[in-house]
Amino acid sequence: MIEVSGLTKTYGGFRAVDDVSFRCEPGQVTGFLGPNGAGKTTTMRVMAGLTPATAGDARIGGHHYRDIPNPGLHVGVLLDASAQHVGRTGREVLTIGARTMGLPDSRVEEMLEMVSLSPTEAKRRVRNYSLGMRQRLGIAHALLGDPSVLILDEPANGLDPAGIRWMRDLLRSYAERGGTVLLSSHLLNEVELIADVMVVIGNGRIVAQGDKLSLLAMDSDVSALASSLDDEALAAELRQRGFNVSLEGEGVRAGCAPEEVGRAALAAGVVLTDLRTGAAGLEDLFLQLTAETQRDDLTEGALA
Amino acid sequence: MSATAAPTLDLSATPQVPMSRLAGVELRKALDTRAGRWFAISILALVLLVQVIYAFTAPDDAKGFGDFLGVSGAVLGYFMPILIILLVTSEVSQRTGLVTFTLEPRRSRVVVAKFLAGFALAVAVMVLASLIAVGGTVLAMVLGAGSDWSVDGNLLFNGFVLANAIGVLIGFAIATLLMNTPAAIVGYFAYSLILPIAVSILAALSPGFADVAPWIEFNTAQTPLFMGDYTPTGEEWAQLAVSGTIWLVIPLVLGIARLLRIEFK
Repeated sequence: MIEVSGLTKTYGGFRAVDDVSFRCEPGQVTGFLGPNGAGKTTTMRVMAGLTPATAGDARIGGHHYRDIPNPGLHVGVLLDASAQHVGRTGREVLTIGARTMGLPDSRVEEMLEMVSLSPTEAKRRVRNYSLGMRQRLGIAHALLGDPSVLILDEPANGLDPAGIRWMRDLLRSYAERGGTVLLSSHLLNEVELIADVMVVIGNGRIVAQGDKLSLLAMDSDVSALASSLDDEALAAELRQRGFNVSLEGEGVRAGCAPEEVGRAALAAGVVLTDLRTGAAGLEDLFLQLTAETQRDDLTEGALA
Repeated sequence: MSATAAPTLDLSATPQVPMSRLAGVELRKALDTRAGRWFAISILALVLLVQVIYAFTAPDDAKGFGDFLGVSGAVLGYFMPILIILLVTSEVSQRTGLVTFTLEPRRSRVVVAKFLAGFALAVAVMVLASLIAVGGTVLAMVLGAGSDWSVDGNLLFNGFVLANAIGVLIGFAIATLLMNTPAAIVGYFAYSLILPIAVSILAALSPGFADVAPWIEFNTAQTPLFMGDYTPTGEEWAQLAVSGTIWLVIPLVLGIARLLRIEFK
């Protein structure tokens, strides 16, 4: 539904977005993940027709955003929840959107209810809103026209854990009804909770994309962590089978898949009490993928 | 939302946002914030105040309806541009342009809508100011002036309508060129207050400059619109055209070109 192909945006000599290509499919929540300044917002601004691309293309449902008539009815966009006139009330912000799109004012009330902004809160001016409330208002604004595509930049920023859970449920059911969602974040655990598919960007370039499992598979070091009632015996059996084994913490780290550890335990007659993959996990992977673009050097032991 | 997951968007059933709706929304945006609403109310309150003062202090033979209309027109002409400036610069200063131009990505249509809204607002305020002028004339009659309801057509058109229309356009030009609320308001006062004073000082010092001034200074060139018989001569119209090109047409063209191109952040 969203197709970005070879998108490049340069500001002077600076390549903010460098040959970025990816797709977002209907029925899926696509997470757009990357550290600050990686080019997420610029990419999304190009999608919404606010920034012209230097090269390449971003199309939504086969169209350039600028060619979509009354785009609010087709594509819900939230680029910055703080980009609202602080002197308007929350209800007025939505009313302006609804009037522009030609929707009845009753739609405003529906949306306020949907994002749990109470009538009293809706009467307050945006100046007095917390970031979390602004995000809720921004999501309500994006959903006003009942669009089939949602483009949300850092929508979970400023939400409390309950708010993030609420947004996950909201976007999930939206995708289940056939909607296409692209949401960006610099926080892996937000995206991991909400998204089906991830696109990881660093320094303006795509460094990885795929679902969670295929991203994890990129981690080539297969290892398993196990603890058992007799770690010595388990370690001996694993060594005999030709795997690297080291005693680590409360258990054993083996250079093989968890399945192999299970077989070894069965053969040795050792009772396993814990067995899991020893792979680095998404967070390590994310840091590793975007290492060159991180502002802070996270080399192990740097603080020691 | 369609139940089946189609990879393309079907736009055939979606008409463009009609211009009347865009203009209506822009008009609403001019008045739905505390700043915009109170500014509009303040302008009208100021017109009212000036009318009352004028009714008490002006000589009896200058208290006809036409005189009151001229006074309210002058006050309006002075402050209308600021209302327009707020309408345009808030898109950048308050960052609402991000939403405005996402809901209507064809920016030129938003520019037209803002013009329509600006002129509608100007007309509404002018009508209210005329009503206040009626009140002022009645007050003057109560205070003993003769009743003179005649209105010079030239005053009505040149001093009231044309001058205010120019004011709206000046507001647009300054706002789009500077795209920053405080800077645009300061710029407007520099243009409308400081510049004419500087020009009149220079003109007083140098008779040669006095001849040149109306050709290069728009405020000076507009004076014949509100003075004398409210009818500029052929040369005065030419001065309006020349100085208007310098101070209005060129800035407006550059400003709109800028509005159509800048990245709203």
